[in-house]
Amino acid sequence: MTIVQFLVLGAAMFSFGVYGVLTRRNAVLVLLSVELMLAAVNINLVAFDRFLADQLAGGQVFALFVIAVAAAEVGIGLAIVLLIFRNRRNANVDDLDLMKL
Amino acid sequence: MTFTDWVAQAENYVFLAIAIPMLFSAWRVVASQNVVHSVLYLVGALAGSAALFLLLGSEFVAWTVVLVYIGAVVVLFLFGIMITRAPLGQDVELSQPLRQRLPAAVVSGSLFLLMTGAMFDAFGGDVIPETEATRTFDVGISIFERWVIPFEVVSVILLAALVGGIVLARRDPDEMTEEVVSESEEVPQ
Amino acid sequence: MNIDYHALAPEIILALTVVAVLVVDLLPVEKFWTAVVGLGGLFLSFIPVLTLGFCESLEFCDDTGVRVLFGDSYVVDTFSLVLKGVFLGGAFISILLSVGYLESDRFWQGEYYFLLLSSALGAVVLASSRDLITLFVGLELVTGPTFLMAGWRKGDARSNEAALKFFIIGVISAAILLFGMSLVYGVTGETTFTGIRLASAGIVDQPLFTMGVVFTLLGFAFKVSAVPFHFWTPDTYEGAPTPVTAYLSVVSKAAGFVGLLVLCYLAFAELRNIWGAALWILAALSMTVGNLIALKQTNVVRLLGYSSIAQGGFMLVPFGAAVTAGASPAQLEDAFFATVTYLLIYAFMNLGAFAVVIAVRNRLVTAEMDAWGGLYNYAPGLATMLAIFFLSLAGVPPLAGWFAKLVMFRSALSIGGGWAIALAVIAVLNAVIGFAYYAKVVKAAWFDPIPEAIPADELRGRSIVPSLQFALGLTVVAVVLLGFFPDVIARLGDLTTGFVSGF
Repeated sequence: MTIVQFLVLGAAMFSFGVYGVLTRRNAVLVLLSVELMLAAVNINLVAFDRFLADQLAGGQVFALFVIAVAAAEVGIGLAIVLLIFRNRRNANVDDLDLMKL
Repeated sequence: MTFTDWVAQAENYVFLAIAIPMLFSAWRVVASQNVVHSVLYLVGALAGSAALFLLLGSEFVAWTVVLVYIGAVVVLFLFGIMITRAPLGQDVELSQPLRQRLPAAVVSGSLFLLMTGAMFDAFGGDVIPETEATRTFDVGISIFERWVIPFEVVSVILLAALVGGIVLARRDPDEMTEEVVSESEEVPQ
Repeated sequence: MNIDYHALAPEIILALTVVAVLVVDLLPVEKFWTAVVGLGGLFLSFIPVLTLGFCESLEFCDDTGVRVLFGDSYVVDTFSLVLKGVFLGGAFISILLSVGYLESDRFWQGEYYFLLLSSALGAVVLASSRDLITLFVGLELVTGPTFLMAGWRKGDARSNEAALKFFIIGVISAAILLFGMSLVYGVTGETTFTGIRLASAGIVDQPLFTMGVVFTLLGFAFKVSAVPFHFWTPDTYEGAPTPVTAYLSVVSKAAGFVGLLVLCYLAFAELRNIWGAALWILAALSMTVGNLIALKQTNVVRLLGYSSIAQGGFMLVPFGAAVTAGASPAQLEDAFFATVTYLLIYAFMNLGAFAVVIAVRNRLVTAEMDAWGGLYNYAPGLATMLAIFFLSLAGVPPLAGWFAKLVMFRSALSIGGGWAIALAVIAVLNAVIGFAYYAKVVKAAWFDPIPEAIPADELRGRSIVPSLQFALGLTVVAVVLLGFFPDVIARLGDLTTGFVSGF
């Protein structure tokens, strides 16, 4: 197995995530796309870790931290979405004028 | 490693068997017109990444992905969608209209090509060395000797997310004063 | 394994305080006490920062110089200590600003202080992190709780919107940052900054490495709200509760800058032409766009939001000037010093400005500039402090902001070269624009007539909440004294530069 095959897969997942972030209108779906980007990061990290034969397993540890932090962020995000939903009955991002100057 | 060597290696077919469904799932996550389908396709993409980690010999990370991501995060997403009664029907437009999707596709597509080029330039056909699978013991030692500070910090992040999330997500009784709220376990709906 | 507990004492005390606040919140006492515990904890954790800083002159202290822990990944040096001091001080003043504000709104106070202190703990960890993993996790602890705090006014749609927008931008930028970090790790095979710098010497020209660095910087550009990654800032600042905005614009922003400083000057030291060029553009855009839009604002909080974008641009000027190829180590140290100094002074004056806004808003309810007319007539003390902070932000001597701008220009001009000079010229033009809108607020408060709707006679002589008085006192003294005696801050800044000498 070459390292590049994993990296290209990671790059593809990341690009899908970017596409999702740019096109989705609903906050939960944007968050899902971000999860794809983070999955790409984990693929990169673990593949690099094995490629470098890192004695400290730095890439794998990094991936574990990314997973833990992502879990916390999803919790925070869904709490905010729930809050908004209660007040406004929808969670669409483009009602929020995200790009307003 | 040349392309002929690559084709001759059996592992690479396993890789393709995992990677191609993963890419399809990833595409459906961002393109599906049904919120629940999107979440379920995310399970596919994440399960694929866990399988790749096993293939790479990184077992602990693989099972953590299964337990934390697929077991907890995805369930949380589904809960979020059910509770907020997100648009479940096929008819609701979940993505931007096509004239905004096209530039987004161009951006992410060129990003992909740019990255792929840089990756081949940096590593070419370099092979991942055949080593024994990482022992969970070694990962643990490295977390608790080298990265113990981030480990502790992550515990505070999770605690903060928990406490803050509960405060934001719970329903405040509008007419009641704070004293009454803190005394009553059951918040009237 | 031997752990240097003295070096970790500030973090440990703060972590215990975080838990203590939650426990006190459970007890059947006034919620006010959670704030007291938080303030006490911040003060206590400031003590080991001092003992570590003045270790050589203390008898009981085992002076080991720079303390390097956990295999280069965590370093306690004078740079990190100065910034820990700033973060602790910033969090202290933010709590003081929150006390009166929260009581007026019946918030979830215990949880609020818990989140604020957790975030401050993240900033304190961040100041010492010299490793990609520690840096990332620290940064997430700084921002994670602030997403929640931005939405703390639960019934207010603007506050909800602020939280969601801030959150979405925050997670996207974290994902981009992480992707960059994963590439940097893969290309160099290291996670520590020293390791990355050593490994990077041979691969400076590799496109994948450049890509990793650029992604990492992009992630930070969101965090420090540099133009064109700023669009979340004004809405979040306006929608969030005002003390949270003060915290975001000072501690959270400073944490982003600290991350940028250590990454650029340590990890990516060999790639100065890349980050220098990228940050040159961000600096020029942030100053110009931030200031031009601030000119049009009528709401003081929103104005401060854009002003903080522009001030962030000024802080980036020394980074951008460092792009000049011939810059010597001494000049780079000067650039580093300039950013740190600007950050220190900005923290005090911006917190002070927000303290004034909160105090005025407590009386007038609104932050629209029109309603602030004639403030001097019925609240001369507040109007004076408003003038002090806003003119300091504008850089009028002899207030502290003047010294910040001076060192910033000095570093850009001393590095020289066409690009650095061009950036300095842009900065001068922007300082002039900045003066226009800061002065506009001061003019409204001092010389404009009192609007009809404002019951000036009722408001006359109304007193300010004691905690707010304390916060105003601290910041006013800091801004005025540092303006007259810039040596103090210069000395603190000097302490931090030993850091760059590894060049």
